[in-house]
Order: sequence, then C-alpha cells, then structure tokens
Amino acid sequence: MSARARTSPILAVWMGATYLFLYAPILVLAVFSFNDSRLLAVWRGFTWTWYKAALSNPPMLDALRTSLLIAALTTLIATALGTSAVLALERWRGRLRSLSETLFVLPIVVPEIVVGFASVTFFGWIGLRLGLLTVLIAHVAFSVSYVFFVVRARLATLDPRLEEAAMDLGANPWRVFWKVTLPLLAPAIAASALLVFTLSLDDYVITSFVAGAGATTLPLRIYSMIKTGITPEVNAISTLLLLVTLALMALAFRIERRGMTRTHLVLVGLLLLGLVGFAFGDSVARRPRATLNVLIWSNYISSRVVRAFEEKTGVKVNIETYDSNEALLAKLQAGVVTYDLIVPSDYMVRILIRENLLQPLDLTRLPNLRHLDPSALGLPFDPTNTYSLPYTRGITGIGYRKDKIAAPIGSWADLWEARWRERIVMLDDMREVFGAALKLLGYSLNSTDPEQLRQARDLLRRQKPLVRAYDSANFDQLLLSGEAWIAQAWDGQILKARRENPNIEFVIPREGTTLIVDNLCIPRSAERPDLAHEFINFLLDPTVAAENMNEIMYLMPNRSAWPRLRPELQRHPIFSLPPEVLRRSEYLQDLGPTTVLYDRYWTEVKLAR
Amino acid sequence: MRETNANRWLLLAPSALWLLLFFLLPLGLIVVMSFAERGLYGGVRWTFGLWNYRQAMAPLYLWVYGRSFALAAVTTALCLVVSYPVAYYIALRADPKWKNLLLVLSILPFWTSFLLRTYAWMFLLRVEGFVNTTLLALGVIERPISWLLYSDFAVVIGQVYGELPFMILPLYVALERVDVRVMEAAMDLGANRRQVFWRIVLPLTRPGIITGIVLVFIPSLGAFITPDLLGGAKSAMIGTVIQNQFVQRNQPMGSALSVLLVVVVLALLWIASRTARSRRGR
Repeated sequence: MSARARTSPILAVWMGATYLFLYAPILVLAVFSFNDSRLLAVWRGFTWTWYKAALSNPPMLDALRTSLLIAALTTLIATALGTSAVLALERWRGRLRSLSETLFVLPIVVPEIVVGFASVTFFGWIGLRLGLLTVLIAHVAFSVSYVFFVVRARLATLDPRLEEAAMDLGANPWRVFWKVTLPLLAPAIAASALLVFTLSLDDYVITSFVAGAGATTLPLRIYSMIKTGITPEVNAISTLLLLVTLALMALAFRIERRGMTRTHLVLVGLLLLGLVGFAFGDSVARRPRATLNVLIWSNYISSRVVRAFEEKTGVKVNIETYDSNEALLAKLQAGVVTYDLIVPSDYMVRILIRENLLQPLDLTRLPNLRHLDPSALGLPFDPTNTYSLPYTRGITGIGYRKDKIAAPIGSWADLWEARWRERIVMLDDMREVFGAALKLLGYSLNSTDPEQLRQARDLLRRQKPLVRAYDSANFDQLLLSGEAWIAQAWDGQILKARRENPNIEFVIPREGTTLIVDNLCIPRSAERPDLAHEFINFLLDPTVAAENMNEIMYLMPNRSAWPRLRPELQRHPIFSLPPEVLRRSEYLQDLGPTTVLYDRYWTEVKLAR
Repeated sequence: MRETNANRWLLLAPSALWLLLFFLLPLGLIVVMSFAERGLYGGVRWTFGLWNYRQAMAPLYLWVYGRSFALAAVTTALCLVVSYPVAYYIALRADPKWKNLLLVLSILPFWTSFLLRTYAWMFLLRVEGFVNTTLLALGVIERPISWLLYSDFAVVIGQVYGELPFMILPLYVALERVDVRVMEAAMDLGANRRQVFWRIVLPLTRPGIITGIVLVFIPSLGAFITPDLLGGAKSAMIGTVIQNQFVQRNQPMGSALSVLLVVVVLALLWIASRTARSRRGR
C-alpha cells in the first residue's frame, strides 16, 4: 500500500487551499445571515431577525417549495431516462448509436440561453401553458444528457467479462442486470442523480424563460431580490438549505458505511414525509377562494398591502417579478402565460396595445379612479385610459454621496467627471444610458438620427474608463457601501437608501431626463379579470396607496393619498421640478427599427476599454 | 445483457422522444427563425434571407466571440489545474473512510444558489470588501485594489468557482477507476512517481478529462450571470449579447448568433473527439 501511504505536503496544501476557496464565500454568506443590518456590507451585531423573516416570508417559502418539487421530479425522471438510454445503447453499433449520442450531446453543447428561448418559443407554438409542467419538461430535457454521460463513462470502464461470467454461470439477463450491472453502475447513477438535483435546483437561465404563473423557483426569487438589493433574508434561507443538505449527506454516509438499520429507515421515511409534507402541505392546508396572478417589478408593492387584500377577500395573490419591460413583453408575446395584472411602463403600454395583448378596463368597476391626479391621466401612450391606469411615476436622475463629493451636482456631465474615475455607476439599461448621453448633447432621448446616435456612442465610449459598473439593480447599495460615489439612478431606490444614510442625495439633471409612468394593465389572456379589477380598485384606495408608497418610496399619482405621505416623499424632487427641466424631459418611446442601431452601438460601448 | 432489439428500443424511446420533442424541435424552430426578419414591433416576419448572418459576421460580433472564447478557455484551464490534484487525492490517496465525505464537500457549495455565491464574491472582492480590508490591515497594500471586482479577473474567479464541481466529478469518476495495482506494478518495474503519473494515470483518465472540459467550457462560453454581476456588465460576452437580442425582441438576430455559436462549438467538439481517437489508436 505504498502508493496510498505517502501524500506529499504540496498535495495536502493544495487540498486545503481548494476547500478554503470553495468555502470562504459560503462562510461569509452564513456569517452575514446573522448581521443586524439590512445591508450586507457592514457588521452591526448579532441577530436572528433574518431567520424569523425568512421563515415567515410566504413567497420565499413558496419558491423553495416549488424548487424542491421540481428538482425531485426532474431527478427521478432524468435519472431513469438517462440510465435506460445508456443500457439500451450499450454495445449497439452503427448509425443509430452515433445518432443517439449526438442527440444526447446537444443539450450540453447548446448554451442555456438558447435552450431557454427555443423552449419558450416552442411552448408558445404548441400552445402549452407556461407553468410547473413546462419547467419540468425543460429541466428534464437539459439534465438527461448529464445522466447519460456520467453513467456511460462508468459503463465504459466496466469489464464486460463480469456480465459474461454471470451469464455463463446460468443467470438470466434480468438477474445479471440486477445483480451485476446495476450494482456496478450504482455509484455513477447516484453521482448523476446528485448532479441533476443540483442543476435543477440551481438553474436560473432556462427557468426564467419557461416559468409561468405559479412556477417561481428559488433562483428566480433570489435573482429578483439581487436585482433590487439583497437582504440577509436570502443568506438565512440559503444557510438553512445548506444545513439541511449537510444533514442529509451525513445520514447518507452513515447508511452507506454501516448499512441500512431500522433507525435509518425510520429517519429516511420521516425526512421524505417531511419533504413531501412541506412541498404539498400548503396547497392542502389552506385552499384559497381563488388566485390572482400579478406580474410586477421587484419590490414594487408593499407586502402588507398584499396581505391586507388577501385577508379582505380570501383571494391568494401570487406576486411574480420581471426586471425589464422587454422581458415582460417577451413573456406576453410567447402567448401562453396567464397573468391577471401587469405593470408595464409608458412606451410598453403602447406596444402592448398595438400587439393586442391588453384588454380594456371596465372603469365603472373602479370607483377609486377619482383619487387620481388628472395630469397623470390621458397620457399619449393611452389617451383615453382604455387599457391602463397609472400606478407610479418615476424619474431618472443622479444619486450621489455628498460626503464624498463636495462639488455641486446637477448635470449629466458630472457622470463624465474624471475626478470620480472608477466611482461612477451607470444604469445597465440601453435606453437610459443613451438617454443621458443624448440629453447631454442636447438631443432628444428618443432620437432616431444615426449621426446623433453616433455622437452619443462616442461620448459613452469616452466615459467607459471612468465607469465602475453598469447596474440597474444595486446602484443604491453601491452608493451605500461607498463602492460608488455617483450613479445614474431611479428616484425610489435612492430615496429608500437615503433613509439609511442621509449623506445620499438625489438630483435631476438640468439637461432634462426620462419621465416614467408605470401602469396597471390587464392582459388579454388573464383568467381572473374580475379579481384584477377588484385589486386595482383596492390599490387606488388612498389609505392603501399611502401605505404602499411609504414602503416602496415611489410616488403614485394619487392626490387623496399625498397628505398621508412620509415627509421625504412630500418633498419629492418631482414636485419641485423647474418648468424648463420638465420641458426638456421626455417619456421613452418605442423606436421600432432604430432599436437595432441602438443595440449595435450599445454592444460597441460594452466592448470599449 | 442480451436484450432483444425490441427491448432496446423500449429502453431508448422515452429519453430519445423527450429530447426530440422538447429539445431538437425547439432548436429547429430557432434555426428557421435565424433566416427570418425582425418584425417592426418585435415578433418575426417570415421572409427568408441571410441578412442576420451577414450582420453576425461583422468584426464587432467576431470580437465578442473572441472574448468569450478566451474567458471559457482560461476558466477551463484553471478548473482542470485546480481540480485534478483534488480529484486525484480523493480517489487515490484519501483514507477510504473520508473519501465520500471529501467528494461531497467538494461539490457541496454547489447546493447553494449560483446567484447567491456570485453575490458573495461581490461582497468579498468589493473595494471595502473582505479581501481588501484584510490586505490593508496586514499592511500588504496601502490603498484598496479596485480591479478585484468589476473586472475580467472577477469574472474568471466567479466562473471557476461556479464550474469547479463539474470538473471534479468526472475526474473523480475516472480516477476512481484507475487500478492502484497497475501503478504499483509500474513502480515495482522501476518507474518513478512522475512517470507513473504521466504515462499511466493521466492517459487512463483521458475520458474524464475530456468530459470535464466539455462540461466546463460550454457553460462558460454562454455565461451571462457572471459577466453581469462580477464584471459589472462592462464587457460584452456572447451570452449577454444574445440575451440582449432576445430582450430587445430581435429574435431572428439572436437566433442567428445562437446558431453560429452552436455550429462553432460542434466543430470544436468534433476536432476534440478526433484528436482523442487518433491518440487512442496510436
């Protein structure tokens, strides 16, 4: 056993370093799940708050439940399918074998993003409703191949004479399979099952395309949380997940080492029961009267408001999120989703109307309509408010740290200031970034003139070396942590960050900027337009609107609610916008074919050094 | 196992049908779409031509492809270098008692969300993050290093971190099959440890290495979460560009870029499998 006895110290150090590399980030995650601060950045003392919050956060638990369910089913199906395919193709020569192998290679070769889009296009084409089933179908499709190759690698190294010997000794094919082949393959099958489970549990890209109403998995939920600033709640839930996994693994080892005892059997049984109970318990326990599926920007509605509606009506509100208008459109254009309420921005409402994806609102069922500010009604994208009612008004501006930047800020040019090299953050939003450059050049931010766009591109290329990051989600966090000093930003998030650090300031550039109205709309494919109307009317109630605004910190054009706002919202820069700045500001418009040009220039900016 | 052909068909049919229906057919749809034209307001106009491909072959996009290939290559090489000793230790050197535990520990981080781990790296590598703070406290540096985050460096770190288990697992499976007695026999016949490794262990584990490379290279090539979060979305990669095409509703262009990517990858794989075969024949 000389080969096993001596281990070089270099190898030992290598092992140690690799495990440190693997575990340091996770350790940090776990430690900061106990941090007494909403921000990840600074340690402020020990707390259990985030665990309590995570364990009483219904959307998060729903997502975890969905993820576990899908991962378990995917593992079962994919492992069975993949292993039988390996067995079928064993020692099968000729064209069919190589054809089949090519078929199994493809899902590994094709980038996830292509698979996701192709799948959603396909589901739309055959008219299959997006939901748990489509997620399961897609997950199995991409994981069968992993099973196939891991198990086959093992089979290839097996000695065929073992099977032959068993046959010679009189075993029939079934007996050979159960007594010889399967035990020899078992480690590989187990390894591939493990792999598939993790792949499915972890997948974001493909799932984001094929998940419909009611199929939000944990990665989708986490992604939307990262998009708007993560809370230690996510750390808490992943620490819990890790602990559960560790316990399962420990049990699996004991069983493997000592054999399956009765205690183990009981433990495994209890665990499985617990998991099944967790995965299905909720749906059995409290069956709601009906479900209202809402698709909205993340952190764009107060959870207290949602709960109040649920209690008042007995309807379950299922909140799902998206991170860009285009993603919303892509989802609706795919055709097979059944959301009851969506919140598109101005220019997107217009596109949705043109694409015939919205249904007219029944204004007679919305008496609270009278609280809305007339200046927010009848806007050009839907002049008669046939399809949309305003939910929030937003504005793009500049957020900065006045303790780091002494100079007065008030122009887009400040985002081109060399003194703040590597401390400048821009939105990761093509239209907003080009909008800032176009405004600085004195042009319209809806410009379709190639020469003006070229100038904007060159300006942005010059800015590139100064930019720390392009980020539409975390710019408030970056300012809070001091990573960035000045950022192109949307108002609500900055005002929210200001509550934590009064040194953060928000200004609207004098060259003019993007005006935003996000709207309440009901898709044509909605299943419960009646409930959607009920919910819209509830949201327009002044008390509800005030509570909602005070939490999300975006303004709503609800006049009756304004007196009940927090003082910092009452002093919102929108109210004191100088008329000439307002005149220079614009709503975004859909630019049709010019979008292609924007896209090319945007790629060129991203490629600049 | 001497099944009849009917039995084999029965075993193969479920997985083959699943893939044909839910993978190949959708892919075919994309191929057709790549020759179509973008509708004025998104959507697809079914007039066919090569314009998407002409645009995709422009220097701009070729440069994006180049960058993505470089990222994937560096990631794969680092994963292989880091993983091989680890898999080797677990499979051949570790006390059998600890073997499974070590293996599981090497893939356990993978059970937490990829997004969250990426975010954890952001926390470590920030200007005021753990790494900079520690180095400052130790007096190693005087000013925080700003290129730790939002740089190609960060993208590679995050990518290696995310893909490492995909390298360790197949290497372990291959190494575990290496018969220790063959190594001992070689040593008894006078080979030194280096010779044993290069002439016996490494060739025996070639299938595992190739599997590992495939499993790491492909996802890295199409990566878009890491470039976005750790790269600060400052640099375009194929994944992010394709995603942007879909989000901007230029589905035909996105399809064309995807098809090109798939074709290139298939070509590379074909070359890889050919070289593997010719080596084996020698």
